[in-house]
Amino acid sequence: MIDRLLFTLKGSKQIMIKLVGFYVLQAFLIIGQAISLALLLTNLWSGHSLIHEWTWLATFIACFTGRHIINWLDTILLDNYARKTAQSLRQQLLAKLFKLGPQLVQQQGTGNIVTLTLDGISEVENYINLLFSKFVSMMIIPVMLLIVCFWLDWISGLVMLLVYPLIILFMIILGYAAKAKADRQYASFQVLSNHFIDSLRGIDTLKYFGLSKKYSKSIFRSSERFRKSTMSVIRVAMLSTFALDFFTTLSIAVLAVFLGLRLIDGRLLLFPALGILILAPEYFMPIRNFANDYHATLNGKNSFHAVEKILQEEVPPEPHVDIKQWQANSQLELQNVEFQYEHGSKLAPVNLHLHGFQKVGIVGMSGAGKTTLINLLGGFLQPTAGTIKIQGQSVKTLNIEDWQKQIIYIPQDPYIFDDTLRNNISFYTPDVSQEQVNQAVEIMGLTSLVAELPDGLDTMIGKGHRQLSGGQAQRIALARAFLDHSRRILILDEPTAHLDIETELELKERMIPIMKNHLVLFATHRLHWMKQMDYVVVMKHGQVIEQGTYDQLMAKPGYFTDLVFDRSKEEK
Amino acid sequence: MNKIPLLKALRHDRWVRPFLKKYRWTLTLAIMLGILTFVCAGGLMFTAGYLISKCATMPFNILLVYVPIVLTRAFGIFRPVFHYAERLTSHNWVFKMTSMFRKKLYDSLEKDAVFFNSKYRIGDILGLLSEDVAHIQNLYLRTIFPMLVACGLYLIIVIALGALTPWMGLLMLILFGLIIFGIPVWSILVNGARQEQEKQATNRLYSDLTDNVMGITDWVLSGNSAKYIQRHDVDEKKLLSSQKSMHRFNNLRDFVLQMMILLIVISLVVWGSAHFGGHWGANWIAAFVLCVFPLDEALAGLPAAAQQTNVYTDSLNRLNSLPEPSTAVKKSPQINAPYQINVDNLSFKYSAKSKLIIDNLNLHIKPGEKLAILGRSGAGKSTLASLIRGDLKPTAGKITINNEETDQFGDQIADYIGVVHQSPYLFNTTVLNNIRLGNENATEDDVWDVLKRVGLEQKIRQLPEGLNTKIGEAGLIFSGGERHRLSLARILLKNVPIVILDEPTVGLDPLTEQQVIDTFMNELAGKTLIWITHHLQGIDAMNRVIFLENGKITMSGTPQELWKNNTHYQKLKKADQGL
Repeated sequence: MIDRLLFTLKGSKQIMIKLVGFYVLQAFLIIGQAISLALLLTNLWSGHSLIHEWTWLATFIACFTGRHIINWLDTILLDNYARKTAQSLRQQLLAKLFKLGPQLVQQQGTGNIVTLTLDGISEVENYINLLFSKFVSMMIIPVMLLIVCFWLDWISGLVMLLVYPLIILFMIILGYAAKAKADRQYASFQVLSNHFIDSLRGIDTLKYFGLSKKYSKSIFRSSERFRKSTMSVIRVAMLSTFALDFFTTLSIAVLAVFLGLRLIDGRLLLFPALGILILAPEYFMPIRNFANDYHATLNGKNSFHAVEKILQEEVPPEPHVDIKQWQANSQLELQNVEFQYEHGSKLAPVNLHLHGFQKVGIVGMSGAGKTTLINLLGGFLQPTAGTIKIQGQSVKTLNIEDWQKQIIYIPQDPYIFDDTLRNNISFYTPDVSQEQVNQAVEIMGLTSLVAELPDGLDTMIGKGHRQLSGGQAQRIALARAFLDHSRRILILDEPTAHLDIETELELKERMIPIMKNHLVLFATHRLHWMKQMDYVVVMKHGQVIEQGTYDQLMAKPGYFTDLVFDRSKEEK
Repeated sequence: MNKIPLLKALRHDRWVRPFLKKYRWTLTLAIMLGILTFVCAGGLMFTAGYLISKCATMPFNILLVYVPIVLTRAFGIFRPVFHYAERLTSHNWVFKMTSMFRKKLYDSLEKDAVFFNSKYRIGDILGLLSEDVAHIQNLYLRTIFPMLVACGLYLIIVIALGALTPWMGLLMLILFGLIIFGIPVWSILVNGARQEQEKQATNRLYSDLTDNVMGITDWVLSGNSAKYIQRHDVDEKKLLSSQKSMHRFNNLRDFVLQMMILLIVISLVVWGSAHFGGHWGANWIAAFVLCVFPLDEALAGLPAAAQQTNVYTDSLNRLNSLPEPSTAVKKSPQINAPYQINVDNLSFKYSAKSKLIIDNLNLHIKPGEKLAILGRSGAGKSTLASLIRGDLKPTAGKITINNEETDQFGDQIADYIGVVHQSPYLFNTTVLNNIRLGNENATEDDVWDVLKRVGLEQKIRQLPEGLNTKIGEAGLIFSGGERHRLSLARILLKNVPIVILDEPTVGLDPLTEQQVIDTFMNELAGKTLIWITHHLQGIDAMNRVIFLENGKITMSGTPQELWKNNTHYQKLKKADQGL
């Protein structure tokens, strides 16, 4: 029922102790409120005038007010604790996120990560808030009230004591029934609720087939089906609330009737009877609150566990080696390096020797393993076997800060931050001068873009602002590379796959000069680039099947020549 | 009242009010059940208080307390029953609304279906809209219903006490009025600005974090990620401080509400002792005082619920700004084969101020002709395709099929023109249903036939449930090339005379691309083909190639002519071949 993981949170023990103190105090005030009200009403009933009973009225007012002040205080206490805990969880999560980097994002999806960091942790905050207060109040208040009830009238006390486990038992039984039913419905649930989103996503396809109007009815029908199955689950799920309500109100009614019958016989006085009647609802209140909020906390619980899971995730090892700036005589060697994805596909042992400012092309069909190889070379993935020799030192992975600080990485869609054009260009080199930026703009052919933008270099670009074409984004990425002279490793992953041929040729003219004095690793399936490469690595089905210079590979028939000629045979 | 955003939003509303009128009786039933729940809860304490007091007078006959005994039991049993019934009725009502709601939402979006993906960035709008639906559900369940129930109780209390003692009725009118209307309005006004601030801060955090998580590779490589985390921290602190002041207010507000309840209890004690007291056996005092406490449950949540409406207002405004669904059904022209497409002096721009996308273009496509349209991204290729399909209306000039303007066809255009575009959407249903989109009356044999033609028969036969295999979300079991083949299968089943291919092979590797193109060309032989592409692979199978630049045709001819005479074409072609 209560989540053990919560007690591993920092400061949870202290907060529990403080809460226990507050709730004991609150229980005393509830008792005071009930007793004074019962006495007041009894005395009024027996004909006293209110003027003589003002002390009891004042006691009632004081206890009632005091109780709500205590409530106020413990809310503040818990609020602060929950907020601080959430804040620290969020900081830890972000730090971990940027430590684990792109791998984690790829695994979880950007949307999930962002939602977890912001909404998820807010839910955790709420979860901590609710669970601590409801749990502690449920442990303390009923017990103390029950003692007083026994003192007032032990028979009623006994009834109240016996009802409690009955309530819990029924809630558990009905809860399980509802859960089983919900589980059974869950699969169809998902399909039905996704149906709407699915239809919206494919709405253009439906229109192309002239079916979109007709589909509107299907939306309604499936939504109605969804309603019916949801209702059948809710009918059972709400039964547990019903049982709780039923037992509490019925036991109050039964208590009232029995108290009444015993009063008629004169076996009891009015004061204890009224006291019991006033205390009974208070006695059941904590468990009702707990049950009401229980479902609301489930999301919080799931998020909390998701956050903890990421926080527990192991950070890939970072070899402590001294890597110097890449020079014309630097060497990088992969010896039988392998990689195995969790879902099965793998990169067979790769042996590769790179040196100096070589330009290396990596070609192959989609799924051949080009990107995996690139990710291993960039240190974004960790090899599952093999050794890497870098500048004469043996390491297991290239996840080395000094190595990554030398890399310029340009993927198919370079990311353009939601920032000014200037800041995007100088992302890696925030301190460059105006002249240098201007030069980069000119050399990369961004002059016309700058002229087009209302505020020139200071115009906001990116997601929420002006969208750039794929070619423009590539030019910005290249400008980043151009400005950063300290980075001598240029990794390109299909930078031109989605560009039109004319734009690609224009970009090529700009790119070739930048590649000078860089170690270039260029994965692509556009083969015209290979002529400009010093060395070509050909991949197929997760294996490097050929490597050599362009001329060597063209000289003998093989997979590379297949790639080149197969596709052009039609045109010959 | 103008300061309450929800009321302002409701004034010109098409999404909440019309639905309140629908199924009016179920709605009334739900509200009545809600009121009865609290009448029973109050009634239970009322009769119990009376019963005990009466019994304490030791009546000589138990029959004298027979009515209160029965009532006490009845209230005790009916409270949970009514509560259960109320929750079922109101949820059912809300889900019924949601069904109609979804349909309405779909109809609103259907109008611009073809541009849906480009106009509303899909992830954003879907997330928002599904959240909006949930918000409106909550608006009904958490705010509107409890408010109406509270109003009902208010009426009962004021009338009942007013009938006994007018000044007491007046006092209750004021005190309960403050609880039900006063404090909620106060809460909305005070916290409204803070909520607005909170929302903006949250949105900023959201977009900022999304932006930087998407660019995480660059952050990691730059070695500067600590800088971003620090920045996030500062922004978050601002959000937290506004949340903190909101919580502080909420605590104060809840305390004030409890003090109002205390005032009600005190005034009932005072009134009760004056009205009934002063002699032995004043049984009604306890009854009236005790019945106040259960009402706490109906009242305590109102301010928070009212304040929540500030959040829903945005959803409401967003939904209300969607276009009104179109209902007009146009009669589409009837035409027969062969189909000649003529584009005459066509110009197009998206709005009066924007620049021309298509500039005085003339193009005649003969029946069965295979035309390739080349050009840079942004040259107007896709716009031209939308114009040909009649999804856009020309700004000047016209486009006709057999002399009928294409924008007159409405949905019937689908019988003449089929489209395969960059990312064919596969619905999350069976393979069979996905292909049958082309022709809902096709037999399984027909489907197998087209699958064979597009080269997917083997693959589908190997799937565990064959044609009845579910395509997972986003069609993950099919690779890029296979998705295009499936999409071709639909078109083949539809058997339209004209097919537009809108960059169908972008992003495929050259071998796969060539195979897909070959299949397309073989299977679409005999049909008019308009192929939009941005590079030249497979171009030799076409009858004519045109280059589009700034909305104009800059090059036109057969591939062979261009290869012989046009140097620019030669250069592009060579690059594309990797030679």
